[in-house]
Amino acid sequence: MKVEKILQVKDLNISFHTFSGEVKAIRGVSFDLFKGETLAIVGESGSGKSVTTKSIMRLLPEHNSEIKSGEILFNGKDLTKLKDKEMQKIRGHDISMIFQDPMTSLNPTMKIGNQIMEPLIKHQNMSRHAAKERTLDLLKLVGIPKPEIRINQYPHQFSGGMRQRVVIAIALACNPQILIADEPTTALDVTIQAQILELMKDLQKKIDTSIIFITHDLGVVANVADRVAVMYGGKIVEIGTADEIFYNPQHPYTWGLISSMPDMDTDDEELFSIPGTPPDLLDPPKGDAFAARNPFVMKIDLELEPPFFKVSDTHYAATWLLHPDAPKVEPPDAVKRRQNQFNGLTGVSVGTASLEKGSQSQFPGIKEGK
Amino acid sequence: MAERKKLLEIKNLKQYFNEGKLNEVKAVDTVSFDIYKGEVMGLVGESGCGKSTTGRTIIRLYDATGGEVIYDGVNVHGKKSKKQLKEFNRKMQMIFQDPYASLNPRLKIADVIAEGIDIHGLAKSKEERMEQVYELLETVGLNKEHATRYPHEFSGGQRQRIGIARALAVQPEFIIADEPISALDVSIQAQVVNLMKKLQKEKDLTYLFIAHDLSMVKYISDRIGVMYFGKMVELAPADELYRNPLHPYTQSLLSAIPAPDPISERSRRRKSYDPASHNYGGNESIEFREVTPGHFVLCSEKEFNQYKAQSNH
Ligand SMILES: Nc1ncnc2c1ncn2[C@@H]1O[C@H](COP(=O)(O)OP(=O)(O)OP(=O)(O)O)[C@@H](O)[C@H]1O
Ligand SMILES: Nc1ncnc2c1ncn2[C@@H]1O[C@H](COP(=O)(O)OP(=O)(O)OP(=O)(O)O)[C@@H](O)[C@H]1O
Ligand SMILES: [Mg+2]
Ligand SMILES: [Mg+2]
Repeated sequence: MKVEKILQVKDLNISFHTFSGEVKAIRGVSFDLFKGETLAIVGESGSGKSVTTKSIMRLLPEHNSEIKSGEILFNGKDLTKLKDKEMQKIRGHDISMIFQDPMTSLNPTMKIGNQIMEPLIKHQNMSRHAAKERTLDLLKLVGIPKPEIRINQYPHQFSGGMRQRVVIAIALACNPQILIADEPTTALDVTIQAQILELMKDLQKKIDTSIIFITHDLGVVANVADRVAVMYGGKIVEIGTADEIFYNPQHPYTWGLISSMPDMDTDDEELFSIPGTPPDLLDPPKGDAFAARNPFVMKIDLELEPPFFKVSDTHYAATWLLHPDAPKVEPPDAVKRRQNQFNGLTGVSVGTASLEKGSQSQFPGIKEGK
Repeated sequence: MAERKKLLEIKNLKQYFNEGKLNEVKAVDTVSFDIYKGEVMGLVGESGCGKSTTGRTIIRLYDATGGEVIYDGVNVHGKKSKKQLKEFNRKMQMIFQDPYASLNPRLKIADVIAEGIDIHGLAKSKEERMEQVYELLETVGLNKEHATRYPHEFSGGQRQRIGIARALAVQPEFIIADEPISALDVSIQAQVVNLMKKLQKEKDLTYLFIAHDLSMVKYISDRIGVMYFGKMVELAPADELYRNPLHPYTQSLLSAIPAPDPISERSRRRKSYDPASHNYGGNESIEFREVTPGHFVLCSEKEFNQYKAQSNH
């Protein structure tokens, strides 16, 4: 069903030039976004989720960022090559973005109402009157009480979550084809969060919007995502349907993520957290960037970057553990519980992987490292 | 726990914005609770219900419209000498909700973190100052090399950790953490929460922990308060609150926690809360009442009796 690709990101590489050197923030990211789907991006803080999506919007800081290579195709056009003027038309019209820090996308000296009305008047040629009506509607939709009073207030008079909802209202205003939402609900309580998620799903049903949803809340991912991409150290390390990532994850980083969540019964014991620190992107490690923190590390992880191995038509993971010659390892208990739960529910046992066609097929024999 | 010492007493705290005007907001409306030394008090509730304002008023960022905050026997909002104020500012620290807005963009990270160390003269030499900064960076899962960078060069989660390091730098007794972990990935959340718990035990720190992630709040808090529209509607030991939520708003909140489980999410049912459902009569007095020991609910006499009956089995 979901065949039409609305966005294709191909082998994207992005660096920042900083005082300490070149930060290689994005190192070969590729993914497709299908029409009408929700793709969630999860992953370590600093792994490149925001940079990837900001690059789609062409909103990286001009003075120190550089797209070293890669393409971003939107309806066949390469966004990295568009003139600023053409890009401006796409931004806030075809593609809109909800930013992680609501304060940075709101103008502190401008009344909330005007900030929502402005793009409506500019991009959609609405009259002032119509724009105001629509603004009141949008504020109601995102659950802001007394919008008639609120439109005359300034951002600092709103709570953190209310600001976030204003940003959401602005992003939804133009009925975009692609909505990029960077942590749109982290500042919201779970009841309002649920309302906003419903709202986004409604929009999706109505106008077939495709959504890229970045969040650390795996509960939210489970609620909204059709597919999930997991990022680590400037790369996507695993991608699959929500069920595949939640019930049959393959990458040891994904295993670590899933093991770190407390459930409602976790009590006094210390929470699991992935030991070690993220890779230094000034000088990214050779081989698998996760190797230093991987309890199942093998010699090859330190030498050669793993290709994507195919687990199913929709599920790929970049870890040498999936190579047919790799030793079989036991995933952590939290992951095994999930696999069993899934097998019990579906009666299908989780698949085994094969090497993706066209990728590296021969490599030096794997030996247990460490 | 035998004798528990009250570190903070919050009595009838009120914080109104635009008082008397059309757009008056009773952000905090007659809220009372205590925080015991060494405990983690969680604060949850609807977005805009007054959690941050409560925190900010406690720490004196706002003058209270009414009520009192007593810290270790001293009225926080009373008149004080410069020296007393400075001491207060060191003892109580706040980790802010919006990590971007709260970091000075012109300062290098080392100087952001060391600001408090400098103000309070906590390092004897330049070397000692940098040592402390490096140690703090490591504590929050960043590294030395980050010390010379500027705030805009960091990801959202990294900035949040800088805010935590800055608060820890002055060795406070009491920390108000306003959504300290919501911008972090789950593994680093776990790391920060483990760290906060460890500091709580080792340094006898006390926290007011404001957050939306209810599984994390449950995990870290000893007691939890639930706010709705400026009022505290329920307060109970963490386990008790989740096992036996009494106020319908608390019930609705708990029913909306998304589970990291796509199959159960597909069939999720939420309870919604309508304040009109209480159907209070005009002469009923709505008070914060103790239903079982330590479990308080904002309710009418009639509801109180129902809750009591409900809780006694
Ligand atoms: N303007 C910049 N200058 C230098 N480095 C930057 C800049 N913006 C981002 N980076 C670096 O790029 C990397 C990726 O950052 P990004 O903001 O994409 O992370 P993220 O995955 O969104 O993390 P989070 O979950 O914490 O928001 C980080 O290491 C960050 O320090
Ligand atoms: N400086 C201010 N001027 C006017 N109104 C304000 C101001 N600060 C906060 N408010 C209002 O006070 C109420 C409570 O805000 P507060 O920031 O305490 O909420 P919160 O519970 O922290 O919400 P969130 O979870 O969204 O951060 C809101 O209605 C907000 O609009
Ligand atoms: Mg980000
Ligand atoms: Mg707040």
